Amino acid sequence: MLLYQLRMAALSLRRNLVLTLVVVAGVALGVSVATAFVTIDRLISSDPIPHKSDRLRFVRLDSWDPADPFDSDRPDLPPNQLTYQDALAIHGSGIPTYEAAMYKSRLTVHPDNGERPWREVVRLTHGDLFDLFDVPFAFGSRWDAAADGGPEPVVVIDTLINEKLFGGGDSVGREIRIEDRTFVVVGVLDEWRPPIKMYDVNNNPYEEPESIYIPFGFAQPLEATSNGNTNGWRFQDLDGWEEYLAASEDTFIQYWVQLDTQEQVGRFQSYVDGYAEQQKMAGRFPRPLNNLLQPLPDLLLTEEVRPEETRGLAIISILFLVVCSVNLIGVLLGKFLSRAPEAGIRRALGASRRTIFLQHLLECELVAVAGGLLGAGLAVPILRWVEKLFAQGEPLALDTGMLFAGIALALVSGLVAGLYPSWRVCRVAPATYLKLQ
Amino acid sequence: MELGPIFRALLRNRSRFWLITLEIALTLAVSVNCFVILQRERDRLLRPSGLDEANQIVVATEPWSEEFADDAFLDLQREEDLRRLRALPGVRAVTAMNQIPISRAGSGTGRKAEGADQSESVFVGYFYVADDALETLGVELREGRGFEPGDFPTREEEDAGDVVRNVLLTADVADRLYPEGALGKVIQNDGGEVSNVVVGVIEQMHNSWPTSTAADRAMLLPGRPGHRTLMRYLIRTEPGQVDPVFSRVEEELLAANTERVVTVQTMTEVKNRTYRVSRAMITVLVGVMILLGIVTGLGIIGLTAFSVTERTRQIGTRRALGAGRFDILRYFLLENWMVTGFGLVLGLGLTFGLNYLLVQAADAPKVGGELVVLVMAGLWLLGQLAALAPALRATRIAPVAATRTI
Repeated sequence: MLLYQLRMAALSLRRNLVLTLVVVAGVALGVSVATAFVTIDRLISSDPIPHKSDRLRFVRLDSWDPADPFDSDRPDLPPNQLTYQDALAIHGSGIPTYEAAMYKSRLTVHPDNGERPWREVVRLTHGDLFDLFDVPFAFGSRWDAAADGGPEPVVVIDTLINEKLFGGGDSVGREIRIEDRTFVVVGVLDEWRPPIKMYDVNNNPYEEPESIYIPFGFAQPLEATSNGNTNGWRFQDLDGWEEYLAASEDTFIQYWVQLDTQEQVGRFQSYVDGYAEQQKMAGRFPRPLNNLLQPLPDLLLTEEVRPEETRGLAIISILFLVVCSVNLIGVLLGKFLSRAPEAGIRRALGASRRTIFLQHLLECELVAVAGGLLGAGLAVPILRWVEKLFAQGEPLALDTGMLFAGIALALVSGLVAGLYPSWRVCRVAPATYLKLQ
Repeated sequence: MELGPIFRALLRNRSRFWLITLEIALTLAVSVNCFVILQRERDRLLRPSGLDEANQIVVATEPWSEEFADDAFLDLQREEDLRRLRALPGVRAVTAMNQIPISRAGSGTGRKAEGADQSESVFVGYFYVADDALETLGVELREGRGFEPGDFPTREEEDAGDVVRNVLLTADVADRLYPEGALGKVIQNDGGEVSNVVVGVIEQMHNSWPTSTAADRAMLLPGRPGHRTLMRYLIRTEPGQVDPVFSRVEEELLAANTERVVTVQTMTEVKNRTYRVSRAMITVLVGVMILLGIVTGLGIIGLTAFSVTERTRQIGTRRALGAGRFDILRYFLLENWMVTGFGLVLGLGLTFGLNYLLVQAADAPKVGGELVVLVMAGLWLLGQLAALAPALRATRIAPVAATRTI
């Protein structure tokens, strides 16, 4: 029966091919626009590391101005970065499973091949960064804890730099000149493009991760100034980089810990609170005690990382699909009713209302599936185009979810759009049309 | 008028009526909301920066050589770079700066009137500049004077500390700190450790963050911009000379010292990057609205055409009973006018509902009355245009159609 109905539906679609194509194109248009924008919104607002995001905590210590809170809109929140001296002081407690202080700097890379040197944004970080965020390695591995403090001249690079400097492949053991030092490659990253640069949401949180990582200990010897946000509140007359790192109240360091158990959370909280109390005695931390171990999802909320633009566009694009569906209802209604005599005869010959209804609905769904497939296909170039408009750099990774989303949207809109016309046509009274023949 | 009969006829075919109504209502809601967002982005983009953007080039030089760690060397290099850049044909003025306006990367601090409470401090984006800054930026002075050679402290004075620099403020800051006139007055940082004297007030100029509400709060300080790892220059060319000057900058600076990375951008590029999201939103929203117009237009054409076909016999009958072609045309246009009107009224509610949702979820701007009226008028026109083709077809139905069966 279903096969017969399918054949009837296909026949009906073929009979008016132009109309069918118009309808398919209409569905495809609505579906592609909606799929593209909903996908962008979903990618950006989804949890970037769902299996452990609540165990990743962003450390915020309130070392700020006694007169004003860091963020006057959210006076309850401590500053969103740490000073260098605090980051250094709280590191090494042994409480967190992993912990890393980090920031980015623009440093000069001198290639061996005689080309001109260039400036590259380099992340200075403890080696735990790679474990905290499950960064995938193609070759080699992270540097060990001993290399952090030394600091040993080791470097982790991504595929882009590996390609640019060494032509790709396993480059572990090769050397890179950064500023006036030689670093040895210990690891080459695999493709890694989280939709949000979750470990540092300052500046542009949608840009791709850095290409070069070196141990945090090089902050001082390389005189690597921050290339990200630096926030300050206190006028200090400091002389030189070393003194600046040791004493400045400027905040520019991101600090991440992984706390797997509630017990760890409690212990680390009292550890940083203890540190703050100790600093209070020394005359620092003039504000009331307020130290936060903020879970990653919470950080993305308070730092308003989610772009409001994509949310708005997603809502608008869904409504666009609704308009396309209303159009579809109109076209299908016209088409079905113009064929009402045929339905009348079939009814007279014994077809039940249900059969007529289902057959027409099936026809709608055939159109919708075709439109959905086409639309999901079209959504990819639309998404790439929109992405290029909004941000430069590596494109986001797409998943099969998008294809399913496109087809699901099409099926739902086909069903919604087809219900009423199919219902109307199955209700025709056979007699009216028999009389006319 | 035939409004009564048209209305009663509509009631006999409710599905068509509701479909067009719904479509118009949704289209109104979506396009009005697209429009407000579009308008906001356009306003942001068109806000004057006070700068001569079209004729400016931004240069960053990032030295790696240790020589640059020496202040005396740095000063000599800056002087030479400025001399070379100023000598290029087509260049009007050049200055050195520590940060570049409208680039979104900059330095900010607080300034308050002399002796005022810390809570009255105003945020300012500040720029250390070399000589010729006003001419290079292209900003207008409202009062006072630009920097003179005597305004620039020597290295010795700087190192000794406690330099009271003369500064230029934008009118936005100056009027906030001293509403009765800031010229010659002293301003201080939040803690009162640093003091400056205002020697001039700039009419208007963007700081580094043109999309913020504090975009016009800027301060220029005379100094020696640049440090060991980064020195920036701003070039203003004669009108239309950006391209020829642009192509020579890197080569000229590397000729002076090759131990550095030189990055050259036009101010237009800098601005486009800053406003990337605004520009993208405008493109996308215009695209969505055009598609929406096409889809809605086609929908109305389809539904009207269907209704014409369905009523061929009735039209024939009316013609046979003496109605002219114009009467038929008027009938369909009036019908469309009524249905669209109803859709628009319904759409009003939907528009504000959607706007409420977008304001909550996406920080969209609130919809104003004028815009709604304007878009409503546009949609009314769209409806009439879309109904025109099928309505004209209806006028060509001959009276004899009344006697034919379908």
